[in-house]
Amino acid sequence: MTTQASDPTSGISGIGRFFRTNRREILFLVLFALILGASFALISVNWVNDHVIEPFTGGIASASTGALNLLGQKVHQQGTLIQGPRFAVNIKNGCNGVEAMLIFLAAVLAFPAPWKSQLAGLALGIVAIQAINLIRVVALYLTGVYFPKVFNASHTVIWQTVVILASVLLWIYWANRLPRPMPPSETAA
Amino acid sequence: MKEPTEPQADPHSPPAVPRMRGLVRNLLLLIIPVAIVWYLVTPLYNRLLLGGAQTLLHWTESPDVTNLLPRDGQSAFVQRRDFPPSKSLVHGFQLTDVHFHLILVATLFLAIPGIPWRRRLENLAWAIGITVFFDVLLVFFIVKSTYATGLGAWSAGHYGAFAQNAYGLTKHLMDLPFKLGLPFLLWAAFYLGDLRGDRVEPVIATSRPAPLPRGRKKAR
Repeated sequence: MTTQASDPTSGISGIGRFFRTNRREILFLVLFALILGASFALISVNWVNDHVIEPFTGGIASASTGALNLLGQKVHQQGTLIQGPRFAVNIKNGCNGVEAMLIFLAAVLAFPAPWKSQLAGLALGIVAIQAINLIRVVALYLTGVYFPKVFNASHTVIWQTVVILASVLLWIYWANRLPRPMPPSETAA
Repeated sequence: MKEPTEPQADPHSPPAVPRMRGLVRNLLLLIIPVAIVWYLVTPLYNRLLLGGAQTLLHWTESPDVTNLLPRDGQSAFVQRRDFPPSKSLVHGFQLTDVHFHLILVATLFLAIPGIPWRRRLENLAWAIGITVFFDVLLVFFIVKSTYATGLGAWSAGHYGAFAQNAYGLTKHLMDLPFKLGLPFLLWAAFYLGDLRGDRVEPVIATSRPAPLPRGRKKAR
């Protein structure tokens, strides 16, 4: 907030003043939307999908298969498919945690912070999101085996909400942990 | 002696993000009631969504041939009246998948700590209005994308390469990143200023005298 007498924006229109006073928020939102849109457009390219996303999803399927076998489920993996005696899940785009990762990435990169903090936040956040997504895939398989009637709601509503909410919370946690530079008056003293 | 000044936001201010504990507690307390309300409102919202999207579709086609038919309270069918009856239901999609993000919007807007309830509710009303508009547009693009890319030879005969790519990409971007990112985007739009400590309320000094020790009279 600045006083009117020293406010260089006092002569400009209401919209201009709004943009000036909310410049950082608008910049954050525009950057977030641009990074999010660009990153999703990038992973929609067939080559990227075939050479990056599909193998990555296959890795998630491997990890989930391992976790399910540890839990006593006799499952095996074929590409992105986890097949068991009673149920099978195919991990497609939208279920591989990539969306949550990209939302988190866009939020971290759009937020003004030192690049080292951004890199550290991205590394830890992506690991955490994938850990949550692993729990999601395992839980969805178990839901399909033991509670097939609620599989659909669990798949589309519950777990998508949980994963996105987790990525938002991770971002808030990261932003909360950023070091705060001293205000100019204190640094001068 | 310093002149009293208005509180100023530090231009280099890093985030003053709300206390995680309060936020997480509020989220955990609110998410189930919000999900129940969303579940109860879903049939009504589905009708609103299908009606809005159908109106939008009719504005863009001549003659009006598209019907959006609700199915089992969770899904909808796209029907083309100009197709033979046996093939008129051209696409089915899950409506709850379109608008489940309302749970996230409502929970995030209500759970933020340290903001008066009145302001939270006002902001939530704006956010829900924007989300409804987004959802209507998303259903519109789901239908258009189906027409442009999902009906084989008919799509190729009626839509050029540019239109197919444009509708397909728009639907893809709206259906995944922006549908999932919208709650955070709206939340940040309304509360980033608060989180960063930019919106500082001026502290008004009161002239109330300090309490006197017990047994002493107030000096005139």
